[in-house]
Amino acid sequence: MVRTRPEESTSRRDFLKVAAVGAAGATVGAGWRPRKAGAKPAQITFLRESSYVKEFDEHFTKVLIPAYQKETGIKLNYEIVAAGGSVVPRLVSIVESKAPVDAAWVQQEWLYREALLDVSDIAEEIGKQQGGWYPEIKNLSVWEGKWKSVPFGNIGQTMVYRRDWFDQAGFTSFPDTWEQFLEAGTKLKKAGHPFGMSMGHGYADNNSWLLPLLWSHGGEVVAKDGKTIHLDSNETARAVDYARKLYKDACLDDCVGWLDIHNNKAFLTSQISCTNNAASILISAKRDLPDMGKVIDHALNPKGAKGRFHSLVPVTHGVFKHTPDPEAAKHFLRWLMDAKQVANWYRSAQMYHAPFLHAYDKDPEWDKEPRFRADLKVLETGRLVNWPAPADHKAGEVVSKWVVIDMFAKACTGAPTKQVIAEAVTALRQIYG
Amino acid sequence: MSVNPAFEAARPAPQAVLGGRSLRFREWLEREAVFSWIMLTPPLLFLVAFLGYPFLYGVYLGFVNRQVAQASIFVGLGNFDKLWNDPIFWQAVWNTFKFTGAATVLKLAGGLGMALVMHQNFRLKGVTRAVLLLPFIVPTVLSTVAWQWIFDPGMGLINRVLVFSGLVTQGPSWLGNPTLAMVSVILVNTWRGLPFFGITILAGLQTIPTELMETATIDGAGSWGRFRYVTLPLLMPVIFIVTTFSIIFTFFDFQLVYVLTGGGPANATHLMATYAYSISMGGGQLGLGSAAALAMVPVLGIVLLLMSSYVRRA
Amino acid sequence: MVGELTWNRRLLGLWLPLTALIVFALFPFAWMAATSLKANAELYDPKSNPLWVQHPSLVHYIGLIRESNFLLWIVNTMLVALVATLLSLVLGVMLAYPLARMRFPASGLLAISVAVAYLVPQTLLFVPMADLINRMKLGDSLSAVMLTYPTLLVPFSAWLLIGYFKTVPKELEEAALIDGASRWRAMTRVILPLCTPGFLSAGIFAFTLSQNEFLYALLFLNTSTIRTVPVGITGELIRGDAFYWGQLMAAAFLGSLPVVLIYSFFVKYYVAGLTAGSVKG
Repeated sequence: MVRTRPEESTSRRDFLKVAAVGAAGATVGAGWRPRKAGAKPAQITFLRESSYVKEFDEHFTKVLIPAYQKETGIKLNYEIVAAGGSVVPRLVSIVESKAPVDAAWVQQEWLYREALLDVSDIAEEIGKQQGGWYPEIKNLSVWEGKWKSVPFGNIGQTMVYRRDWFDQAGFTSFPDTWEQFLEAGTKLKKAGHPFGMSMGHGYADNNSWLLPLLWSHGGEVVAKDGKTIHLDSNETARAVDYARKLYKDACLDDCVGWLDIHNNKAFLTSQISCTNNAASILISAKRDLPDMGKVIDHALNPKGAKGRFHSLVPVTHGVFKHTPDPEAAKHFLRWLMDAKQVANWYRSAQMYHAPFLHAYDKDPEWDKEPRFRADLKVLETGRLVNWPAPADHKAGEVVSKWVVIDMFAKACTGAPTKQVIAEAVTALRQIYG
Repeated sequence: MSVNPAFEAARPAPQAVLGGRSLRFREWLEREAVFSWIMLTPPLLFLVAFLGYPFLYGVYLGFVNRQVAQASIFVGLGNFDKLWNDPIFWQAVWNTFKFTGAATVLKLAGGLGMALVMHQNFRLKGVTRAVLLLPFIVPTVLSTVAWQWIFDPGMGLINRVLVFSGLVTQGPSWLGNPTLAMVSVILVNTWRGLPFFGITILAGLQTIPTELMETATIDGAGSWGRFRYVTLPLLMPVIFIVTTFSIIFTFFDFQLVYVLTGGGPANATHLMATYAYSISMGGGQLGLGSAAALAMVPVLGIVLLLMSSYVRRA
Repeated sequence: MVGELTWNRRLLGLWLPLTALIVFALFPFAWMAATSLKANAELYDPKSNPLWVQHPSLVHYIGLIRESNFLLWIVNTMLVALVATLLSLVLGVMLAYPLARMRFPASGLLAISVAVAYLVPQTLLFVPMADLINRMKLGDSLSAVMLTYPTLLVPFSAWLLIGYFKTVPKELEEAALIDGASRWRAMTRVILPLCTPGFLSAGIFAFTLSQNEFLYALLFLNTSTIRTVPVGITGELIRGDAFYWGQLMAAAFLGSLPVVLIYSFFVKYYVAGLTAGSVKG
């Protein structure tokens, strides 16, 4: 194992000294053996969040695992962890305790990039092989000139709506601007089919429309330099006022507290006519409610004065520095991302991970479910949640404290615009100050 | 489940040593202090290894600036200073008190009622007792998922009943309204913890000698009088114990809130435990997160001290 | 006393509150049961009755058992809970017995330390705990949680047992000692058997907490075949923002079944045991 973090080991030794003084240090000795370095690993463990398309995980366990084992003789373990807040704790504890996991979907990699191996060679090679990378993802995966993760795909977040109810209300195409969106929502709510735009402490469905709303009004949270707080602006105030009005006139009351699951539930039980979500609603509907499956459609976010935006939910894979055999772990990632393997893995789930690789822009798989094509378009206007600031751990803190989300949520539950912006700026100062 | 295997496993070396029987050694072993320390050593070693080390490490983290996968920088009380000036933290502290206080009072009142009801004789008493424990048994992650639906604005059981009974035309938003969201998490916590109170207080009731009750009745006490002057004072120790327990568990509870609201909407249900967790896990700031978790210990300690001194006076 | 209970009083004092209690405690289960027997189409139907099943089907139960390692998870959970409980009881007795019945230096300090150990939040412990478990090479094995759960349970068990041990009159032990029994014999043959209900109550409470625990199980149990019910279920059935509601509820039901059976068997000892000691003590 290559130790590239001497400072880290020093601090641990320091701690052990402290612990020894506290009379506790002596007790951890049992079974404390260094790992054998250099031996060919008998197995590689790859960790991911469980996918809402079961076939995607099944493709990995039924096709990719046997193939890799046959090719290399190395056993491949696939650990799946529940979504909604289980994965990041698991990843943090892996990094902190150097647990025997070699590679993973490195969710929120900005928190622990220092623990990830440089995978520039793989990313460059795969990019060259498969048409090149979409540029925005580099802002996440490339850190200080090196690729710390290999991008996989984006879980497209789009507007999901009931075409039948929109038609009835006289909207034959999905609203193109936020103003039209509000107008449609007001009318549909009066007809008993309100919108349900998530604004609670979830992970994706809140950011995926509130940040684009802010950006398309010209607002931004932190400037490109990663230091200057830009939130307090007239543009932000306009976006907040808009959200409040949308909530009052067009939305179901409940949505201000919704986590990622709630809008799926509300949509599938016909309580709402539109929300912002990944493809999971459509996929569930097609399986369980075929009639509804026919009248659901996907659309891009409406545009504002500054254009049309989406927020990315990027999936990237990385290798941990503490893996006993870095070359073996990197070999696995290279093998996995090779067109021979990865193309069919994308397709096994109907491309719901829109590949960040241009080679798949015209993949025939997109024709099977044309409604997923919106996900492909998201790649063009999609920004990372930290945009335009760099994707560092401070940006991660802004997200994990729901600073921006709560600004909107507070406005919707009655607080004045000035106050909610000021409170958000206070929280930002805590983080960036 | 037989208790015997536990005893077998617990039997440490002394017995075997006794077989060697040097009389003086045996006498030495029989001294209270020696016997005590032989008994105490294994559990203490276990606790020091598995609780002491992580605890000290955790305390250490509270005094350093420590980002995941990065080096620690000693900051003294810097983390606590940061929390002191953090409005969200104070909101979480306040929420934690509201949550713990309300849930404990409700569980106590409900549990006392449950015990008084279950103390009477009726058919299928045993089965009823076991069944009433169900909320306590089902894993919290799974029962909370069910509550997601029960609180659903249109499809949920609660709002369906409210609408059906004609009380309202449209049910309230349980998880969307900040006040009701707090009410909701308190309700679920009460639902889950009430059986524990009920069954514990019931056990206390059963130890009250019937003669006392009869004497009180002869002295002319009504059922309220018997409850107020005989039952309640005798139950006080039990009530104190179960309340202490519950305060600790409720204070640290974060799974329920995490699954149900994530601390939202707009931090209305964020507790110290959920906030500490999201600082550590979401923000990757292990130092600050540990400090936030550590802040719970003295707060809780003070609450418990106040409680115990109150009870001692009473 | 029984004679003065009129039917009205019986109604107000027993049947009404009992019904209210049962409704409050069990209505979520009624919903869970109905949902576990409903096809998704019916669950999502806005006109469906939340407590009634139009077309009952066992599809979720079958799916749960066929498509996941559910039965294995139950076995794991029971095994983990049993070992963790026994370990906690044994260590708890060893801690509680001297503290309750012996005089020796530093006993007061020790009693306080045990109480303080109880105030340590799990949120503070889990990162260091993960570090410890991996140093000991216990990661991804059931023994990892079998050893960590007692850290949550030993202080509790000890504290409960202290109250219990104190209730047994000192004379009993002295009599045994005068008869020539060793301290060990006096403890195992005289005192401990008297406290059986105490063990049962501490044991059942520890068992419930162990089979319910989520965070350590999430961090330490990684391979699907060695997971416990809460982690296994959420990993397989909470997929992104798509929940497998029916299967989740079926799992909640089947998962608590063994525990309910254990409880209904032990509940009378449980009730007799949980506080009897503390009341007198």
